[in-house]
Amino acid sequence: MSDILRYHAEQLYAQELEELKKDDPGKRPQNWLLTPQSVVTYLIGGKLKNGFEVTPKYIGSKRLMEIAVATLATDRALLLYGLPGTAKSWVSEHLAAAISGDSTLIIQGTAGTSEESVRYGWNYARLLAEGPTRNALVETPVMRAMQEGKIARIEELTRIGADVQDTLITILSEKTLPIPELNTEVQATKGFNIIATANNRDKGVNELSSALKRRFNTVILPVPDSMEEEIDIVRRRVESFEKTMELPAEKPAIEEIRRIVTIFRELRNGVTLDGKTKLKSPGGTLSTAEAISVVNNGLTLAAWFGDGTLNAADLAAGIIGAVVKDPVQDKLVWQEYLETVVKTREEWKDVYRACRDLA
Amino acid sequence: MSVHILGIRHHGPGSARNVKAFLEELQPDIVLIEGPPEADSLLQWAGHDDLRPPVAILAYQPDSPQKACFYPFAAFSPEWQAMLYAKTHRIHARFMDLPLAHVFGMENEAAAKRAAGAQRDETQKEDETQSTTPDGETPPAELNNSTEEFTAAELDMEFLPRSPQDPVAHLAHAAGYDDGERWWEHMFEYRLGQEQVFEAVHDAMHALREELPRRYDRKEALREAWMRKCIRQAEKEMFQRIAVICGAWHAPALQTMPKQKDDNDRLKGLPKTKVECTWIPWTYSRLSYESGYGAGIPSPGWYEHIWEHPADDGTRWMALVAKLFREQQQDTSVAHVMEAVRLANALAALRHYPRPGLEELNEATLSVLCNGESILMQLIRDELIVRNRIGKVPTEVPTPPLQTDITRWQKKLRLPQTADFKDYTLDLRKDTDLERSIFLHRLQLLEIHWGKRFEVSGKGTFKEQWRLQWDPAFSIDIIEKGSWGNTVAEAATSFVINTANNTGTLQQVCKMLESAIPAELPAIVEVLIHRINNLAAASGDVLQLMEVIPSLVNISRYGNVRKTDAALVNNITESMIGRICISLPAACTAVADDAALPLLDLFFAMNDAINLVQDNELTGSWQETLLIISGNPQSAPMIAGYASRLLFDAKIMTGETLVKAFSVSMSVANPPALAAAWLEGFLRGSGTLLLLDEELWSMVHNWVSQLENDIFIQVLPLLRRTFSNFTAPERKKLGDKVKHGGNGTSIKATTTGDIDYERGARGIPVVMQLLGFKDAKLLPDGA
Repeated sequence: MSDILRYHAEQLYAQELEELKKDDPGKRPQNWLLTPQSVVTYLIGGKLKNGFEVTPKYIGSKRLMEIAVATLATDRALLLYGLPGTAKSWVSEHLAAAISGDSTLIIQGTAGTSEESVRYGWNYARLLAEGPTRNALVETPVMRAMQEGKIARIEELTRIGADVQDTLITILSEKTLPIPELNTEVQATKGFNIIATANNRDKGVNELSSALKRRFNTVILPVPDSMEEEIDIVRRRVESFEKTMELPAEKPAIEEIRRIVTIFRELRNGVTLDGKTKLKSPGGTLSTAEAISVVNNGLTLAAWFGDGTLNAADLAAGIIGAVVKDPVQDKLVWQEYLETVVKTREEWKDVYRACRDLA
Repeated sequence: MSVHILGIRHHGPGSARNVKAFLEELQPDIVLIEGPPEADSLLQWAGHDDLRPPVAILAYQPDSPQKACFYPFAAFSPEWQAMLYAKTHRIHARFMDLPLAHVFGMENEAAAKRAAGAQRDETQKEDETQSTTPDGETPPAELNNSTEEFTAAELDMEFLPRSPQDPVAHLAHAAGYDDGERWWEHMFEYRLGQEQVFEAVHDAMHALREELPRRYDRKEALREAWMRKCIRQAEKEMFQRIAVICGAWHAPALQTMPKQKDDNDRLKGLPKTKVECTWIPWTYSRLSYESGYGAGIPSPGWYEHIWEHPADDGTRWMALVAKLFREQQQDTSVAHVMEAVRLANALAALRHYPRPGLEELNEATLSVLCNGESILMQLIRDELIVRNRIGKVPTEVPTPPLQTDITRWQKKLRLPQTADFKDYTLDLRKDTDLERSIFLHRLQLLEIHWGKRFEVSGKGTFKEQWRLQWDPAFSIDIIEKGSWGNTVAEAATSFVINTANNTGTLQQVCKMLESAIPAELPAIVEVLIHRINNLAAASGDVLQLMEVIPSLVNISRYGNVRKTDAALVNNITESMIGRICISLPAACTAVADDAALPLLDLFFAMNDAINLVQDNELTGSWQETLLIISGNPQSAPMIAGYASRLLFDAKIMTGETLVKAFSVSMSVANPPALAAAWLEGFLRGSGTLLLLDEELWSMVHNWVSQLENDIFIQVLPLLRRTFSNFTAPERKKLGDKVKHGGNGTSIKATTTGDIDYERGARGIPVVMQLLGFKDAKLLPDGA
């Protein structure tokens, strides 16, 4: 076992990609590793003709994944949009891994992301020594993706300033990156495309200009439809976490996961699952991703400090941490929920006690 | 001699295309179509210039019109194409389904049996699954179009039952689709070539009928037996090439003929009833599921599109979407359309479809044109996918007399039937508009809710705002109401009179009166007034009387705008007000606080009404009543307070009396809650009044300022409670007023001394003109 904390998708699922490639008779778009159908299979999971089982990466609507893949096949860029924690980055990583076999060409969008990190930068030592030459140029992931015909990923596109965002327009419409300093350009090879993610919860983001928006097909990733779907997502992700963290704890009981997902869903929707009681919703998003991290957190606690079995006490701190983002407002919401909903549930006594003790 | 069975899907554009092509190639000499034989005579209208789909055959039982059944046809219905073919090629066409006479007959029998069974044994479980209203059980006045009736009727039109038992779903699953509907669309409806489609359909359905375990369904068996009977009949008549258009599901049953005797035995001795048919206009929204309608199709607008443009790869559709978006001020460029079409085609390729279907196009629209936001999709759904469109039926088609009358009026008044709503603002001073209003009100009385009335903005009682939207289901209402008379006026009159005599509550009858007067049906008005009088005399509930007074007063006051004689109403209003004045004081005692609030509203409306009547005698007796109420210590304090206020407003209770009443009610000896209630009633809704009315102000002000310190502290919470009902700006101004010495703004006296009468007189003609007097010369000179 090597000591890498987290592997890239294409490393982690190398075998699946290999099997899919073997089992892939159809016509592939140029520079794609797989046919679009196989990319969808890779994301959604399924059984191959030779009996190999592909694990699902995205649990949810297959149609959404089909739109995403079809978009990339038409050389339009793809914008994944949604609440934080709805697997946007996860999907984009796996799309890049399945299509180009490389999910590392990534730019993290921040308010400070500059034009140099999107287009190209200069190695100033070389620039001074040699003058403006190709050698002095620092390539960005986007530029490399263009040259190699791969997928580049831009995380949190809307956090990047509007002026920098718009440098993408030429790249997306003309598929070229001019380098006026050298009087040359980089023309994109077939297979190049961009997957951007953006979340629609944050305030103060830079809305895309309509010129740029027009270059993207938008796919909105929703929060999971059903309770069962959400439980499934949490269980799978937690199991993979256990593998990487080599935790000695027992497998998380499905019952615990169900309770967490229940709490999160109820608070997120502002109503109990039976639809009878209205609840206040806290300020945080309470996404599935947070549910996953709560379970992971609990597992770690149980493994290193507890008896190795995941129980309510291990989870309580994580739940409160996820729910109470605002120390005043959210705390009231949580206490109200605890007293009116959790307390009344007979089989939730342990959760109630654990949370009470912490509060 | 050859029989060709064409298994189709109702309202399937692909099926329609196939049927058309097949018929043109086969050149049959007779076409048999799945449908009620009673409607055979209606087939002659197919191809008529004015019969434009979507239309429907409406079949009903004349003695109980709610027992009805629709057979809708769109331009893309295979049956419609078969009819058109028969008409243009001058060959025979017949409907061949089990006659509705028998279907209704059986249902009636079952219902009767059930009713009898229920009487015999209440607890006995009922096996019958058919849900129809037994005849005669409900009086016609109570009947309405229950959707249940529709679905029951629509079951006849089924061909591929949806729901879990949908047999086609089995085939779809085998083919790797998750939805039977979609599979069928891609297999048969979107197909351009039609090589041997009907054989394929037949084989598929045959396999399903063989494999699937099925419950024996008597009606189904009867229907298929009858269809076979019709085919045999056609054979007997020596037709050479017989084309049979039927739901795909039935195709195998008609291909293999069992012994003739079996069928005949089965069809022997079926109960019968009388059935009549007519063409009625239909709408696309009725064709779709949206109307909560059993066997609809999800997307009539889309089907029409692929019927008209079978080879469209999505470009034309996207262009329509873009046009729609642009109309809604959504920027949509040609590039958007191109990208959307490309995405739709890529999606179709990804899913191994030869070309994009509605799903792919919708997903592409959502992703490219809507930026992932699904709000605009609803617009596309309404405008394009369902597309509200209404058919047309020639006026010569024989219809029930009431329907004819309504159509005549619609034509005369230029009020066309539309599938989308349309707004009309009627100016009652104009003859046409007045007639329109009368007509619409009469329909309202008949409970045919074609028009909805809205409050008009602006002043004047001569305007009415209506919103008209036609619903094909009105046809049933019309037929049903036909039993009340042959013209709208006649039917409305006898219907309302009957209802009025059978309903008990004063309010309902008053409501009817309110709509009967604008409907200009004097016969009704007389009966209703008589009825109201009787009910009012019998009613012990004074509140009920108070509730209806305002509307009655409105009628008597403003009725003359509509040239109606309001004297009749005046009489009963007077007698009712008299009754109210007598029993109201008693009704105001021992009223709980929460019950007093609605009573206050009634007082308010009542007072307004009395002011409106402007009849001194009535006003007098009303004020006396108020005096009694305000003077009676038993009256609910809030009401007593309000009554005092009304008296103060009318300047009946002023000066000393008022101050006395005020201090008595607000004295410390009274329980605080009662005092507070009194004050609340007294100052109700009068924050501004308090500011402007010096007298009211000075009274409250004086009372407050003469209070002892500790008493003031005691009543302070009560005052606060009352004042908290006022708006914040009002409270602020009141505070300011107190701060500035309590005198507030004094009203400036207007000087009347130096008015130039001559100059003033010159302006009067203009003013008169503004007021609507055209001929200024009518005025006395020098006025």
